[in-house]
Parts: sequence; structure tokens; C-alpha cells
Amino acid sequence: MSVETVVTEDDLAEMVEQVWASYLDPEGVNPLIPTGDDKQTTEVHSTVSITGTWHGHLVYASSTQAARKAAAAFLAMEVEEVGQEDISDVLGELANIVGGNVKAMLPAGCFLSLPTVVMAPDTASYYPAAERISGLWGVWDGEPISISMWQSVKQGETA
Amino acid sequence: MVIDDSRAMRMILKRIVAKLNFEAVEAGDGQEALDLLATMTEVPELALIDWNMPNMNGLEFVTKVRAESRLREMTLVMVTTESEQSQIVRALAAGAHEYVIKPFTEGAMIEKLALLGLVPTGANS
Repeated sequence: MSVETVVTEDDLAEMVEQVWASYLDPEGVNPLIPTGDDKQTTEVHSTVSITGTWHGHLVYASSTQAARKAAAAFLAMEVEEVGQEDISDVLGELANIVGGNVKAMLPAGCFLSLPTVVMAPDTASYYPAAERISGLWGVWDGEPISISMWQSVKQGETA
Repeated sequence: MVIDDSRAMRMILKRIVAKLNFEAVEAGDGQEALDLLATMTEVPELALIDWNMPNMNGLEFVTKVRAESRLREMTLVMVTTESEQSQIVRALAAGAHEYVIKPFTEGAMIEKLALLGLVPTGANS
């Protein structure tokens, strides 16, 4: 079963809006601006996997600079003070938050993994058995950010 | 007490409860929190608890706290991305007093704590 119609780009956008309002842009002055550019380059990838009645991944990806800014906003630090551990922790939590809300929109009986954060380009290489089914691409302060859903190919083929 | 495997989330929660004049201790999972509680002579008034954590998750922690008479007075609030109705029911049935779904704003968290009578007059003003 594809969840393309269950979790749409609009759903992802709504979740992102809530995350920004809660943690990254509580003043509402610096939102994520959708561009639809799915070819944008990202360098930090945070993933939570979903298993159970649906198999796949939710990936939060951004440039290193956007990751630094997110960590700084989340942790109330200066961007210059942000270290790798801060980036890993904050991006893991961001993927966890969006992934948890995505899971709630999937069929009952799904489980969410703990997040994994990789600081390297090219998301696709991490999910050879999954295909992207939905996503939101945009810029925040001029820096690329995306949130995408990947579904297990095997499950997609047999559904 | 703030219990979450994300240091970032612990910091956010600590900032919020500090505004309410709580002094917060923190733990990275349920087991660490139980170990910490075992060393404390004074039981914390409030625990904010994530669900998905390594070693011992939040639901197990709530169940264990509720089974311990010494910890009976602790107010337990789940703070989690687990937003399905069935999960909320499970947490409340296990003994959690309230349930906050991530993402949350500072104002929303304070409102929840106010409903539990944990916001002193004049706090956050």
C-alpha cells in the first residue's frame, strides 16, 4: 500500500510549520519557504525508520549551515558555538518529531525507530531498497532543507 | 525531572520548567531516571517523560513509578511524538497524568502544567 495519498506534501508542510513555530521560528519571522526543488544539495541527513504495517523511512535533510542554524535555534546557542554533537542531537530530534507525526497518519500497528544522523551527501545511497514517495523541499534563510518519505520497494511492489 | 534521550529536547523542557521556578534534574532514559530517583531523598514533583528511548522507554518508566509507593506523589507527563489515540490511552492507563504531543510550543506546555496545578501564580509573567 502506498501512503502517497495518506501523507501528502501538504501534510508534511503542516508538520513543518508546527515544528518551526515550536522550535525554529517561534516569532514567525523566518519560515521554511517551499521551492519544490528536489535536486537541491544536502549534506546532513537524519532518518527515522517506520516498521510494522508500513515499511519505510522519514528523512530530514539539510545543508550543514541550515543544520547549524537549526541546532542554534533549538538549543538557544550562537551558530558559531554549535558542534557536531549538537547538530546530530537536534536533527535527530527533528526527524523523530516529524516521523512520529507521520506515523500517526499511517495504518495502525507501525513502530518508529530511534533516529540516525549521517553527515554526508546523497540520501539515496542509504536506502537502496526504498523509493521516495513524497517530499517537501524548501529553503530556510537561503539554505536548503527537505523532508521526504521513502517506502520499502518490496512492500510497494507487493501492495 | 526531565527524561528524554534527546539532549536538545531536555534543554528545551528544562528552560520551560525553569521559568516556572522548578529546578530540573535530567535523565537520558527510563532506567537512568529510576537509578537517579533511587539516590534522591526528595522525590521530584514532576516528571516530563519521552516515550521512545533506549534501554527503558517512557511507558515502562511510568509503569514502574506507579508500582513504587515512594514515588506515588510524582506528577507524570508524557511528552512524545506518539500521537495515536491508542498510545495516549495506554499511557494514561499506565498512570500518566497528562500527555503532550511534540511539537509543542512553550505556551502549550505551560498551559498543560497549569491544568495540573503546577504553575505558580506569577510564573512566566
